[in-house]
Amino acid sequence: MENSLIKLIDVHKDYVNEEVVTKVLHGINLEINQGEFVAIMGPSGSGKSTLMHILGFLDKLTTGKYYFKNKDVSDLNEDQLADIRNSEVGFVFQAFNLLVRTSVFDNVKLPLVYSGKKFDKEKVINAIKSVGLYHRLNNLSNQLSGGEKQRVAIARALVNEPSIIFADEPTGNLDSKSGLQIMKILQDLNDSGKTIVLVTHESYTASHADRIIKLRDGVIVSDAKVEQRLHAKMEDELTK
Amino acid sequence: MKLPIWLGQFETPIQIARQALLKNKVRTILSILGVVIGIAAVIIVLSVGQGIKGFLIGQLTTFGTDYIEVEIKVPNAAHTSTENATGLALGVQITTLKESDMKEILKLDNVRNAYSGSMTQQIVSYQGANKQTFIFATSASYSDIDPTKVSEGRYFTDEEDNGLARVAVLGPNLKQTLFGDEDAIGKEIKVGRGSYKVIGVMDKRGAQSFFDFDSMMYLPIHTVQKLIIGVDYVTFIFVQVKDNSISDLTAADIIQLMRERHNITDPNRDDFAVMTEAEAMNMLNTIVGAITLLLIAIAGISLVVGGIGIMNIMYVSVAERTFEIGLRKAVGAKSADILRQFLMEAIFVTFSGGVFGIIIGSLVSYLITVISTYLGFNWKFVMSPLYLLLACGVSIMVGLISGLYPARAAANLDPIVALRQE
Repeated sequence: MENSLIKLIDVHKDYVNEEVVTKVLHGINLEINQGEFVAIMGPSGSGKSTLMHILGFLDKLTTGKYYFKNKDVSDLNEDQLADIRNSEVGFVFQAFNLLVRTSVFDNVKLPLVYSGKKFDKEKVINAIKSVGLYHRLNNLSNQLSGGEKQRVAIARALVNEPSIIFADEPTGNLDSKSGLQIMKILQDLNDSGKTIVLVTHESYTASHADRIIKLRDGVIVSDAKVEQRLHAKMEDELTK
Repeated sequence: MKLPIWLGQFETPIQIARQALLKNKVRTILSILGVVIGIAAVIIVLSVGQGIKGFLIGQLTTFGTDYIEVEIKVPNAAHTSTENATGLALGVQITTLKESDMKEILKLDNVRNAYSGSMTQQIVSYQGANKQTFIFATSASYSDIDPTKVSEGRYFTDEEDNGLARVAVLGPNLKQTLFGDEDAIGKEIKVGRGSYKVIGVMDKRGAQSFFDFDSMMYLPIHTVQKLIIGVDYVTFIFVQVKDNSISDLTAADIIQLMRERHNITDPNRDDFAVMTEAEAMNMLNTIVGAITLLLIAIAGISLVVGGIGIMNIMYVSVAERTFEIGLRKAVGAKSADILRQFLMEAIFVTFSGGVFGIIIGSLVSYLITVISTYLGFNWKFVMSPLYLLLACGVSIMVGLISGLYPARAAANLDPIVALRQE
């Protein structure tokens, strides 16, 4: 399909630890198109983090096929995975994962360091502006609030202009107001055409996506459009 | 400025390494210190080692460079052995080396000149000033052979030596002790119970010898043999050769001659030892080489300890920054990028340690030279670009070796596992 960004065919993932095989994913079939906002839901142990790691090129599948932009990426080596993570993917983690005692600017700059291209300061500044933290440019990461930290993480995910952003429980460590702000930024990004995959166990957070994939025990149990999508912008105005 | 591509790939790791090291200043300084001590030790050892060598060569060449020395030796003991040294020190009397031996040696083709000599001690006094003094008893030819000249008056003659004349030549320090600024030539001094006339004062040789020649008194050998010690033998013969390039052959001739004259058939029973200047130089090089090797081993150990310290700290650093490594990998760093980053950190530490070590080592070596010169040793400050290059090379090597394992441990981390470490 022209518009296909991600396509998984019968993907299995086993972990082997001291000859004990743990099967985490059992035959996942999944397609995500460009411009979608997909939430992956499921209880702990359902395999949603593993699925995100495979989709985000942090981990390799055991059997099956993974097509990214219609190219088979099932058997890439470590360096190829690193390259594709750098150019195609942005990550936002629950724990923000910023470098401590490092400025906002340097944190956001990080993916560019490994892009192999000439460093472009404007890209960093634009990414920081897009999450509304230009005034915090030179602050150290430990001087920021939780919400601000997560916005820095989003700016970092955006700086290399990736095709897709993976957000793993991005509001998990935030109060509801900051969480709402983060969801608003993600929805704005999606509105401007960015593909977003959100991993969460909260139905409320997942309802900001336009499609929810539910996982249980390593299989997809449901995959459906969100009937009544929540809009963070409107929620924000309502609370004021 | 655009860096060449091969250098460009180090630009980022260098910046990252610099930032990481600046974040842990105390730790960085302590690891650098370990290398500073090691490299400074290497520099000091090399520089001072060369200084000592120069000093000792100066000692040897103070007698000239074209000589062969014949000395008494305890039979059945090697010339440079402890048995020989302690034997002679404990008073084993070797009475077989005679002036007549010297006269026969003088007949050899390649021999230009020679003097025989002996040493003893006496109390020397002048107008109430007493001084226990080493007496260097020589033939008159000493003044023709030895590079140090007479500065005032003259040396004694063969006639005076053969006629048992009571004449003395003073070392400059002895002259100063006994006479001060007063003129010494023509004055009578007491040597033991005898009265001797001062006929000359030697030039300053400098306190550059195992013996302080400047505080000695020079007397005719026959006078000392007959009037002071009461013996007819000497303890050494100093032979000057015409052509130094064949001094080995001349030495062999002397050995053969001496064995014939002393009726020796078994070389083990030699009661003399013959040493050329070249042999002395070889012996010296061997000794200095051994000392330098020992010192380099010690310096090497301190470098190894410094390197292990760095390795240890790098492992701690990797463990502490597991999360950071995971994050860097998640945003696209390859294993090689992480490897380079941690290697750069280790090399940065050891290289700066190397630079400071060179500076401190050079300063200490220079200080040692200044103090030695002040104490009267003829000691030169030696610092070769080769040492600096060597020190830099060694410090970078230590960085590479000690950084490699921790850097590989960092590079091989799984980003998912590493990211859970926060």
